[in-house]
Amino acid sequence: MEPIIELKNLTKTFGAGGGQVSALRDVSLAVYPGEIFGIIGLSGAGKSTLVRCVNLLEHPNQGAVLFHGRDLTGLKEKELRMQRRKISMIFQSFNLLEQRNCLDNICFPMELAGIPRKEAKQRAMELLETVGLPDKAAAYPVQLSGGQKQRVAIARALASDPEVLLCDEATSALDPKTTDAILKLLQTINRERGITIIIITHQMSVIEQICNRVAILDAGQVAEIGAVEEVFRNPKSPAGRRLVSPSMALPLAEDMPLARIAFNGNASADPIIASLVMDLGMKVSIMGADTRNVDGKAFGTMLISLPEEAEKKKTILDYLNAFAGVTAEEV
Amino acid sequence: MTEKIAALLESWGVNKALEQVEFLLDPANIPFAIWETLYAPLLAAVFAYLIGLPLGILLVTGEENGIRPMPKNLMRVLNTLINLLRSIPFLILMVMVFPLSRLILGTSIGTTATIIPLTVAAAPYVARLVEASLREIDRGVVEAAQSMGCSTWQIVTKVMLPECKPSLISGATNAAITILGYGAMAGSIGGGGLGAIALMRGHGRGQTVVLYVAVILLVILVQIIQTVGTRLCVKTDKRITHK
Ligand SMILES: Nc1ncnc2c1ncn2[C@@H]1O[C@H](COP(=O)(O)OP(=O)(O)O)[C@@H](O)[C@H]1O
Ligand SMILES: [Mg+2]
Repeated sequence: MEPIIELKNLTKTFGAGGGQVSALRDVSLAVYPGEIFGIIGLSGAGKSTLVRCVNLLEHPNQGAVLFHGRDLTGLKEKELRMQRRKISMIFQSFNLLEQRNCLDNICFPMELAGIPRKEAKQRAMELLETVGLPDKAAAYPVQLSGGQKQRVAIARALASDPEVLLCDEATSALDPKTTDAILKLLQTINRERGITIIIITHQMSVIEQICNRVAILDAGQVAEIGAVEEVFRNPKSPAGRRLVSPSMALPLAEDMPLARIAFNGNASADPIIASLVMDLGMKVSIMGADTRNVDGKAFGTMLISLPEEAEKKKTILDYLNAFAGVTAEEV
Repeated sequence: MTEKIAALLESWGVNKALEQVEFLLDPANIPFAIWETLYAPLLAAVFAYLIGLPLGILLVTGEENGIRPMPKNLMRVLNTLINLLRSIPFLILMVMVFPLSRLILGTSIGTTATIIPLTVAAAPYVARLVEASLREIDRGVVEAAQSMGCSTWQIVTKVMLPECKPSLISGATNAAITILGYGAMAGSIGGGGLGAIALMRGHGRGQTVVLYVAVILLVILVQIIQTVGTRLCVKTDKRITHK
């Protein structure tokens, strides 16, 4: 399948001289039609800069931004404006027009596209219905809660009938329950309208909940990219490990042999370690754990110490890997 | 009637009371003075906005991080020119602008002639007021508009100006009052209106009653403009929830 959006070797530097900041360093990634693609990283990692490069709110110093294989960076301003209508965006701070009511906010992109007022209004009403606010047409943004504002922003983003929806920390200003509802809405939109979604977040839970694939951004570079379960179960990069199991990012004695055990929900964590000790008669200590118990099943990772001897290591790893839903490897 | 009031004032120790009361009650004087006080500043305000609004917009959109950056030198010249005009005291500016008034209107005296110096003084002030209003807009809102494919013109006309409308109205109220004040000052040099009456008769000829009446009328005019402006500002602002 052809990617719908492909970023090639993006570099973005802010400022000049001593105060220079490299926000993006040679970032490449591809997003495929219909997927929900997550980009996660710590604050300042360059996530916003990256997503803003997709619709060229930020112009990269180098590299290409391909939309359906066509480089947007070379487009004339007018042509770029036309392309931007197919790539909508929602923001952490909603960015609604405060002097317009909800209906007119949603009509705004259609106004730009020259759609007749009557038709636009009707479509805006339908979109309000879609986002679950059919009775808020005449309300002004100030009268809405954060979650409602984001719903209106989503309706507005959908008004231009986009192919891609960019979300820059769209749920970061919302409480967990509202976040959940907004994420579900995004998922529905993705499923029912086939809109490709790119989600920027610093929250693991957001990625976990709705993304198919994820890229981990660290200091302006892609540290890791892959299917969400894959990356979360077994992060390969230091940045990935820091994000997935922050408690295990503690500096440990360099030469201490360690094994990471990943649980993907098919087993429970504690009895496995207990039976390991009993069955093999070997002592291991748990160095760190970031597991969650859901209905008695464990998700997450655990770090245990290993004996020095290669043979014993192998015995332990083989023993652990024999459990369903458990992956263990030396790190 | 006239005599009775004059006698009353006389009994309070007012000099030349009859002359003053006659002047104040003559229907040709005060109503005309109010009209003169308003019409020159009003026209000047219109012209000042015709010049100052585009300049104010340019000051915001044309700066380095604006939505349509302009050559740095152009912006520097514009800023300097505005500061320069704003730093000249109005009375001096007025005298300096006399030749321009003569050139455009054929005369440098009379109420109409004050429109030119009033416009020259108010336009840079209006530009700064508009600039300040437009700077209040959240950058994120402008970016959202850009992400929707707005052109620069559309951002100005459909986002910046409408979103800043309450603030622009409040700025216009300020401008109107300032220009009215300048206009009253202009009365001292060949202009007309309440300012001229207060200065010439009230101050110049010691007609204190006329002075106070003219000043009170000026105060009332300012109050009316401010009240209307504030009401309009509050009423248009959709960020304020009206019960
Ligand atoms: N307009 C800008 N001017 C200067 N530096 C910027 C600008 N935008 C972002 N940066 C810098 O680039 C880096 C990445 O920022 P950003 O993309 O906002 O990160 P994130 O969204 O992951 O928190 C930060 O160091 C930030 O300070
Ligand atoms: Mg950010």
